[in-house]
Amino acid sequence: MTRTLRNSVAARIAALILIVLGLGSVVVACGSDDSSDSGSSSGGESGGSITISQTSQPDFLDPALSYTVNGWEPMWLVYTPLLTYPHVEGTEGGELIPGLAENLPVVSNGGKTYKLQLRNGLKYSDGQPVVASDFAHTIKRVLNLESGGSFFYENIVGAEEYLKAGNPNGDIKGIKTDDDTGEITIDLVDADASFSNILAMNFAGLVPGDTPFKNMTEDPPPGVGPYVITKSVPNREFVMEKSPNFASFDIPDIPTGHVDMITTKIIKNANQQAQDVLANKLDYMQDPPPADLKPTVKEQAGDRYRETTTGSTYYFFMNTRVAPFDKAKVREAVNYGIDKPGLARIFAGELAPGCSFLPPGMPGYNEAFDTTDCPYGDPSQPPDLDKAKQLLKEAGEVGTKLTVWGNNDDPTDKVTEAYADMLNQMGFDATPKIVDGGVYFQTIGNQSTKAQTGFANWFQDFPHPLNFSFLVDGDSIQPTNNQNFGNVDNAELNETINQLTLEPELASVADQWEAWDEALVSPPNSYIAPYGHRKIATFTSDRIDFDAVVFHPLYLNDYSSFQLK
Amino acid sequence: MSETADRPVSDLDAFSDAPAVTVGGSGGASPWRLAARRLRKRPGALAMGIVFLVLVAVMLAAPLYARHVADTTPYENHLSDQIEVGGETVNVVGFDGVPIGPTWRGKFLLGADSNGRDVAVRLLYGGRNSLLIGLSAALITTVLGLTTGLLAGYFRGWTDSVLSRIMDVLWAFPVILLGIALGTSLSLGGLKAGPVEVSGGSLAIPIFVIAVIYVPYLARPIRGEVLSLREKEFVEAARAQGMGPIRLIHSEILPNVISTGLVFFPLLVANAILLEAALSFLGAGVQPPEPSWGTMIDEGVERIVTAPALAIVPGAMIVLTVLSLNVFGEAVRDALDPRAKVRIEH
Repeated sequence: MTRTLRNSVAARIAALILIVLGLGSVVVACGSDDSSDSGSSSGGESGGSITISQTSQPDFLDPALSYTVNGWEPMWLVYTPLLTYPHVEGTEGGELIPGLAENLPVVSNGGKTYKLQLRNGLKYSDGQPVVASDFAHTIKRVLNLESGGSFFYENIVGAEEYLKAGNPNGDIKGIKTDDDTGEITIDLVDADASFSNILAMNFAGLVPGDTPFKNMTEDPPPGVGPYVITKSVPNREFVMEKSPNFASFDIPDIPTGHVDMITTKIIKNANQQAQDVLANKLDYMQDPPPADLKPTVKEQAGDRYRETTTGSTYYFFMNTRVAPFDKAKVREAVNYGIDKPGLARIFAGELAPGCSFLPPGMPGYNEAFDTTDCPYGDPSQPPDLDKAKQLLKEAGEVGTKLTVWGNNDDPTDKVTEAYADMLNQMGFDATPKIVDGGVYFQTIGNQSTKAQTGFANWFQDFPHPLNFSFLVDGDSIQPTNNQNFGNVDNAELNETINQLTLEPELASVADQWEAWDEALVSPPNSYIAPYGHRKIATFTSDRIDFDAVVFHPLYLNDYSSFQLK
Repeated sequence: MSETADRPVSDLDAFSDAPAVTVGGSGGASPWRLAARRLRKRPGALAMGIVFLVLVAVMLAAPLYARHVADTTPYENHLSDQIEVGGETVNVVGFDGVPIGPTWRGKFLLGADSNGRDVAVRLLYGGRNSLLIGLSAALITTVLGLTTGLLAGYFRGWTDSVLSRIMDVLWAFPVILLGIALGTSLSLGGLKAGPVEVSGGSLAIPIFVIAVIYVPYLARPIRGEVLSLREKEFVEAARAQGMGPIRLIHSEILPNVISTGLVFFPLLVANAILLEAALSFLGAGVQPPEPSWGTMIDEGVERIVTAPALAIVPGAMIVLTVLSLNVFGEAVRDALDPRAKVRIEH
């Protein structure tokens, strides 16, 4: 999932209007009168209510459709899939556990058949019982609504035929359910070691079998989870309240939550949000405080602010089909010449410099490779510019013209300009090309663009290397909407991916993924130039027990851990 | 030239077939000399004209400052660099992303931006770009506006219909929206028209966009003047003597409308600079890594608390430049035609 902070034309227009009105600095200094009473609640470890904020409305408040942090962070607590993750920090938080299923799936038929058993006695938040066929309906909605997550489930036998038939109520041949016994059997076209993770995605959070085949954002369907969405006014607010019956199911490792009610307000101005959290008028802001206010936040509220490294990787792609990046030496030179700690400063410190493509917390991630054992030198140290220049000279590409692609999301534009300058220092003649964030990835993913090099990033959808490997898999190259921006196509690396796709026991092949990661980044391949992993902030009001807040590796700040002091 | 002595005002607000601005005068002195005499009686305006010239001179000296004082270019990032300030070693950009403020020394005189680039150097180069765009766009607008107004007003008929409708279409769009639409699309794909090919990052793109947008604001009053002039006796006399239309426009009509173009020019420059700043602020004008005052404000707004100079300094430069041009332009207008009410409204 690509996730970036947008600095759209609309936002700039708004800012321009503020400047024209002379209100720019006033906004920075003032909180909202509207929210002056929004943080009021009763106290205590459990119970009470909190008010939090997001800068923009979640893309959808419908589990079948949402594919953003804004949507996943709250909805993880509303729609539990058959499989899920424990609400704990670190690597443990990425280990699969049964959710609405009794146990982890029984995999057979060479990794192509998954059998699960639904827990007994489950009910949705509106009281209707959960039945096995609801799973089929849930997947049908994902496919039928053309969700961004539909491709994850197209490997199910009959999924493509279901889509082609165009009948929402038709059957997906590869999903067999028995409402009496609660058995669910899923047949796949090809074995996929990450399918259990796919079953744990928010898209597969169960909804009742009569949920309409339409976007339900304004009236989110009931689910099974510690919270239920009781009110949704798009672009203004949505309210989550504790589910009346979830605690009685006693599902292990899924907490029931502490506060009774969580009101999420949509507040466009991040400065205002940060000021309100500082003043305890808001209890949490989902987006990080603006870089401009971070020194103030750290100074005044350092005890309730922290940054945690996420399962993400920021890297520069180098198109191996286009000169000069068809030369391995040129790619190697770029890797040597990138000022990673410098780039971390552009992110206001919210980037852990690194060199690994697989992110921290991911099986196969090697911390040493990401730090001291990086083949291009310690990522936290200045670059080896001399080596970069020498390699470039050897490759005969000094003075070669480059167009460096990036988008206008903040801080991607600055990163792109800095990258272009670094390339110039190495000896290229590079010019940045900044396009709108809304069309950026489609533009560079179109082969006719012949994008030479530029910005790319990826946040994990689930903690399995396959969720990253497709970005550099030769078999995934497409003429349009290509996500393998560098057209990386190495037979050996492709073969490794194909082999490891069949391995159901991820832990047993973690070392092979580690070797694959190193081969991808190290000379002589040097296919991509990773430079770090994004950190995400946790910033709460004084009313929240900050030490109890759980930062989940996948779903980030866990609202069910929020409790009033 | 006595035929032109009593022409009424030209007002851009009320597009009409209004007659022309004049270079009024009597008593033996040439109109230009009279205008110069009137201009000299406005010392404040002259001072602002000098301010503008000084600004131009300073901006032109940008490469000298960059090379010999700041020792950097407007594009060079200094993200991981450290400098000595007051005997202390400080980061140009802090680990938390906060750039260094004004040092009041040669290097980083006005501080650095988020990429560690020298603000003073970018301010000067940005000023060069803003002035280049403003002056070039105004010049092109003046040429196109005069040509369009002359052709439409003199030939009337279908020529007038076609040109006036094109002007109507351009005028129908809000300036900023038209600028964003043209600027965004052209900056992405560049401009390709036959043998002419301009890359998306070229300064020619904002120059072209701004120049085109303002053509109707000049073409319409010129057309109005020409419609009136073409019926005057001296034009009819020239026509009766067998003078062809092109020669007649060139030798009889153009000299009588050129003063309107002159009156407009400084105001067009000021408006073009403002529009360029707005478009660049919105990402539809000057493209990175080229600096402009608009892009600098855009970058500075994000740091308005920790580094207010980033937005304030280029903003102040825009105010000073536009103010000097407007005050001077107003005086030029008064000198050339004290009764004219020339305004450019969006």
